[in-house]
Amino acid sequence: MREDKVLQALQALAENDRDRQASFAVEARLLSNFRSRRASQRWRWVAAAAVAAGVVLAVLLSTNRASKPVVSVAPAPTQVPRQEAAPVVAVAAPAPRKAARKMARPQAREVVTDFFPLMDPAPPFERGQMLRVQLPAAAMRTVGLPVREDHLADPIQADVLVGEEGMPRAIRFVRFDVP
Amino acid sequence: MLSDEDLLGAARGGDEAAFTALYRRRQGAVYRFALHMSGHAAVSEDVTQEVFLALLEGGGRFDPSRGSLLSFLYGIARNLMLRRVEKKPTQDTEEVATDEDVLDDLTRRETIEAVRSAVLSLPAQYREAVVLCDLENTSYEDAAAALDCPVGTVRSRLSRGRAMLAQKLSAKAVRSMP
Repeated sequence: MREDKVLQALQALAENDRDRQASFAVEARLLSNFRSRRASQRWRWVAAAAVAAGVVLAVLLSTNRASKPVVSVAPAPTQVPRQEAAPVVAVAAPAPRKAARKMARPQAREVVTDFFPLMDPAPPFERGQMLRVQLPAAAMRTVGLPVREDHLADPIQADVLVGEEGMPRAIRFVRFDVP
Repeated sequence: MLSDEDLLGAARGGDEAAFTALYRRRQGAVYRFALHMSGHAAVSEDVTQEVFLALLEGGGRFDPSRGSLLSFLYGIARNLMLRRVEKKPTQDTEEVATDEDVLDDLTRRETIEAVRSAVLSLPAQYREAVVLCDLENTSYEDAAAALDCPVGTVRSRLSRGRAMLAQKLSAKAVRSMP
């Protein structure tokens, strides 16, 4: 038999089977599995976040104890000494509900510093997650940002970049400015 | 339309819609590959499911520079099929070639099934080349990526597979003659 006849035969088989596919039950099982995985991943992240927040606090507070006090300046990102290394990025964001209610202002601008590394040297970063945490303002001193003595205990918001392995890699601080 | 790679990235990030879209786009090809390799619908469904589960678990190993995502999926399916074939080897029956033509009426159900049967009786290494290149129209490059061998090997296996099919189909024609 010639090869063209074989190809013709194979083409006929391919045409005959063109619309054959797995049943919907396979898709349903896969989606169920996908959702279970996602749920368990979420729980893993929550656990990692809790660990990360604890580690960040421990690192920052222990470093803070060892560092000298810096000149007291209000925690304005535009005045931070490491301005060149950590340019400030302004992002429009809705104000936190409580703050908005208290101040009776509809919108606030979210002002963030650049990221400060928490690991030195830092291993390669491939994937991770950003977690918003609340820390005492004293934490800002540990990366060289000035904080007034009477504001050290004030709660501030920070974004912690957590690596896939659950270790905090970098931190940036957030301030809400009302226009 | 989002590429397979974009959908995979989103799916691995937890986007269910992306995973569903990717599955619906590619499951047919994976299922048919398994079907033509095994001859069993139930096995093909199992393999299809396992391929996409493996994609969720090991999708990070996909390297676009080595081939398309579809060839990556074929590669996973192939490994799964080989494991099954090892457990239950295919019987390769030698056929005698004649000049008779079994393909005069390709619309006949029996003829289609005769071709399917002939493909299934090929040794696995020739069958997978024929299934990918001739039944699924996969490029030689993608087939090589899926089969983890050089393009030249794909070509030679394909050529040998077709020759074996010609022999088998001719012999079937002889046997079906009144």
